[in-house]
Amino acid sequence: MPVKVETYDRVEEAARALSASRSARFLGGGTLVMRAVNAGDQSFDTIIRLRDPDFRTIRMQGDGLVIGAGVTMAALVANRDAVFLAPVARVIGGPAIRNMATVGGNLFASGNYGDLAVALLALGATVQLAGSGSRSMPIDEFLRDRDRHATSLVQSVTVPRPRDPATFRFTKVSRVKPKGVSLMSIAALLPQSGGRVQGARVAYGAMGPMPLRAIAVERALEGQALDAAAIDRAAALAVEGIAPPTDALASSWYRAEVAGVHLKRLLAGERR
Amino acid sequence: MSIEFRKEYFADERDDNLNEVGKPTQRQDALGHVTGRSPYFDDHLFDGLLHIRCVRSPHHHARIRRIDTSEAERMPGVVRIITGKDVPHNLNTLLSLLDFGLDDEPLLSDKKVAYKGEPVAAVVAETERAARDAVAKVRVDWEELPAVFDVEDAVKPGAPVVNEVYPKNLFVYHGRYDHQKLRYGDVEAGFRQADRIIEGRYQMSPIEQAPTETCGAIAAPETNDRYVVYTSTQALFFSLDTTSKLLKTPSNRLHFIGGTVGGGFGGKVDSLHEPMAVLGTMLTGRPCKYIFDREEEMQVGAPRGAERWYLKDGVMNDGRIVARKFVGYFDSGAYTRLSSYAIIKGVGHLPGPYTIPNVYADVYCVFTNRTPATAMRGFGITGVDFAIEAHMDKVAHEVGLDPIELRILNAYRDGDMKAHRRLAKNTALIECCQVAAEKAKWPLSQAASQASSLRDGGGERGRLPAHTATDQNGLVSGFTAQSYAKKSRATQPSATPPPQMARHESAPVTPRVEQPRPQPVQPASAPPPPPAATEQRHTRFSSISGLRRR
Repeated sequence: MPVKVETYDRVEEAARALSASRSARFLGGGTLVMRAVNAGDQSFDTIIRLRDPDFRTIRMQGDGLVIGAGVTMAALVANRDAVFLAPVARVIGGPAIRNMATVGGNLFASGNYGDLAVALLALGATVQLAGSGSRSMPIDEFLRDRDRHATSLVQSVTVPRPRDPATFRFTKVSRVKPKGVSLMSIAALLPQSGGRVQGARVAYGAMGPMPLRAIAVERALEGQALDAAAIDRAAALAVEGIAPPTDALASSWYRAEVAGVHLKRLLAGERR
Repeated sequence: MSIEFRKEYFADERDDNLNEVGKPTQRQDALGHVTGRSPYFDDHLFDGLLHIRCVRSPHHHARIRRIDTSEAERMPGVVRIITGKDVPHNLNTLLSLLDFGLDDEPLLSDKKVAYKGEPVAAVVAETERAARDAVAKVRVDWEELPAVFDVEDAVKPGAPVVNEVYPKNLFVYHGRYDHQKLRYGDVEAGFRQADRIIEGRYQMSPIEQAPTETCGAIAAPETNDRYVVYTSTQALFFSLDTTSKLLKTPSNRLHFIGGTVGGGFGGKVDSLHEPMAVLGTMLTGRPCKYIFDREEEMQVGAPRGAERWYLKDGVMNDGRIVARKFVGYFDSGAYTRLSSYAIIKGVGHLPGPYTIPNVYADVYCVFTNRTPATAMRGFGITGVDFAIEAHMDKVAHEVGLDPIELRILNAYRDGDMKAHRRLAKNTALIECCQVAAEKAKWPLSQAASQASSLRDGGGERGRLPAHTATDQNGLVSGFTAQSYAKKSRATQPSATPPPQMARHESAPVTPRVEQPRPQPVQPASAPPPPPAATEQRHTRFSSISGLRRR
């Protein structure tokens, strides 16, 4: 079957077309979908595009930032309200990829990709789905059933902006710099109250089938001052309850060995 | 980056009035590349172009019971499905063109597959997607066979037979032995004389050439019953002759056009795409393209083969190496391709750039159920060089000598006899070591820093060993029927090594060492010289070990 392209002007129409077909893929920036087309992926025969300008805007809403799913990494880097996300968006791909790759697409990026989704997970974002099943859900829930959402259209992501930008940290570990894919990425939100961590969220990329929370690390940090002893205790639990994958970049063993090292550096605020 | 010339070395041997050597030169294709105008094979557009994709084995080793293409043939856009019976001469080995080795590899297998990804059928369709969809509908009834992946497991008795042309899973050299031999002096005597024995095992993995442009070719009908072929090949005449042989078509009906290779590194010499594209065109009368996708390039495209080397050195306490023994295994994958030749090349290189009076090597070209291995940048040499140099470090460590000092001590010098029975000339290992040490601020002893490739070589070191121990280990029978074996045997005891290879001389440069006409010294059981041209029937160009026939 030849591949067919359908273009829509309104989010609802695109969402309807996507949910109506099991062999359709939504095209964000094409950095994943077009690669699959070129590689002869036979799991889909229809590509759905959306021209709605709303889909590509970033706006403030209360304390949060509503980022259209069609916003590119380059647009995110350039947006002054999204300054806390710029260090994440800037290390995704090279300039050509960042000009095309979208926030919505990143939520579906698997394997060594999907660094932005890791950051959004640590930040506690919510994901808005378009169309008849229009609803909003925590990103944790969205990522857990990511495959099931493949026929729903992500309209936007809402990200609470950290009050103190220094409480959000992100690191990407790659073999090739710049432009390398993630051996792992770690994002941490470490809000403090009275010198103690309150409501820590720590997330990993490339450490499982999808971005994951490091629950044991979060628990170890909760209520602690972020001192050397607390960081050591948290780093020792870096892969507690996590089974890192083996892939072309690293073995499961290697990931488990180095996760604590990278986590410790991130928590201690050391530059890599 | 600037180049630093160390012209104080060998100043009297060099002509500094050369037009190209020693001067920066722009690549002839650089402008086209940076302006995006270099034409690659895939830039040639044809109306009505058809696309070829192969049905590939999911198994490492399996017998083909039946191939059912009926459903695939009914798929939309499918023009033709090709199987082994459509290939006019469905058995080849790349180096048969050089009269070396037996035909052992089909273009499309119809009885058995011996590596994962081996093609068993090809779909010719209107679009690439239609070809892929039809490939998914070809039903192959497989009977899986036990597979072997390790070179030493593959040569054990009872191992699965990977390549039925070579039932012991070993390539046959010169129609006589299941390995390539090198015998120079007597290593066992050398070991007895040595103060200590130092052994090592070294393993290299396959390496994919990973060209930016994957391998491919486009064929189209041309006037006068000819076919035009645009190809990414690195070896246009290899591809032309291979196509001519597989398709039983005179080469004057094949108009091959090469040109820009989008990255080769040795991975584009195997000539699988051109015959398939031409066959598609012959069977459909339309232009056909056959190109690997990236996954095929990685899984099926032939890599540099894995090698395993065992080294055993007899070493004196002062660091002199008096005997060196090699046992090497090249993993050729399922078919021969170029590993057999790599071994000839590698054995000529032993024991590396050192003068060692007793050298021995047994090197095996082994068939395993892995992707066939081929050329890649210096193949045959790089692997064993890694083993040799890693072993030199080990020797240095064990005798407590500085690793650079050890190399200078054992380095070959002008006039020394090498294990392949040629005098060393224009040697420069000592000077390379000295400059490297100087650059690294690595202290050298006075003796090492004053050593020279020009001094202390030759004389006793330039003589052939008084006695060379020989043996008949690994003798095979039953390989006399083929022409290469017969020829080899006919000329094998020839005591006169072929004349020296013609060299491109430039200016009035006097060689440091006058290469003597090879004495009729008995080469004992040294690797027999390559088949000389006693029968002129198939001999066209130079023989496999690079010794030109005249």
